[in-house]
Amino acid sequence: MPVSVLVVDDSPIARKMLIRALPSNWDIEIAQASNGLEALTAYRAGKVDVMFLDLTMPEMDGYQVLETLRKEDLNCLVIVVSADVQALAQERVLSMGAISFIRKPVTAEGLSDVLKKYGIIV
Amino acid sequence: MTTAENFDLNEDQRDALQEIANIGMGQAGSSIAKIWGEFVGLSIPRIAHIDRQSIPSMLTRFVGDLPVNAVRQAFHGQTRGEVVVVFSGGRGDQLAELMGYEDADSVEEQELLLDVANILVGACLGSVAETLGTEIGFSAPSVMGMNVGASQLMRAEELGSGRALFLEVRFTLEKKSFASHLIVLMPVEEIRVLGQALDKFLESL
Repeated sequence: MPVSVLVVDDSPIARKMLIRALPSNWDIEIAQASNGLEALTAYRAGKVDVMFLDLTMPEMDGYQVLETLRKEDLNCLVIVVSADVQALAQERVLSMGAISFIRKPVTAEGLSDVLKKYGIIV
Repeated sequence: MTTAENFDLNEDQRDALQEIANIGMGQAGSSIAKIWGEFVGLSIPRIAHIDRQSIPSMLTRFVGDLPVNAVRQAFHGQTRGEVVVVFSGGRGDQLAELMGYEDADSVEEQELLLDVANILVGACLGSVAETLGTEIGFSAPSVMGMNVGASQLMRAEELGSGRALFLEVRFTLEKKSFASHLIVLMPVEEIRVLGQALDKFLESL
């Protein structure tokens, strides 16, 4: 069964850059959201196995999404994808339940390393 | 339609520039966070095409009416333009404190502003140039004004006429009421060159 992937970023270009960098042999169904509220709506409406989450977004940012997911005990693997490469930003999101942090601009290698590390792809 | 309007970036180009600027801002934020030892908040980059005469009112809209300190720095490479770095919302000595000075005099304060502006501009625009696959160089930064209103930073005669690209990113400190706005101004003939570079980037996606 394909893995449900949700790509959350306010920038359509950033979503495109990320989707392009996903492994081509990964069996997935991709959905997109342009802010945190849309991401949570998409999550509640259906299944999300893996969420690629930007931090700086209008309406609801990535930190708030992580907080809500934790508070409501929602279960999905969140990989934060952000241009905010401060060490503290990385620490924060990991402490809030994200499994990993990928810096922008994403590369196919960087993405595949993380997915392999967490056993999401082999 | 005037010629100038033809050079305005289209929606795709603006989206691309916003994301590329976002990546650049992240690099700049990280560089300055390491020096300050503080978490730096990052904004969503804002892009607008404006008439050059509207630059002062635009600055006031983005930065506010209170006195600010400002530094300017020109860049050149495939495209050229100028970055205005506006420090607002905090006393000048807060910056000195952040940089580890006990009692900075006004000369030291100006040097600090130049240093910080140089770091922000270099990291941000350096990253933008890298993403676009081009080279970029910088002139030495200079102080535009200390403790003056944002609308007073540029005189009408140096603004000139025609269109300009206005790109704003904002760095804030959580613990202090301090913000730094980085505003990129590009003359109309350079926007076309930037547009071509953005098209090339978009095609590569």
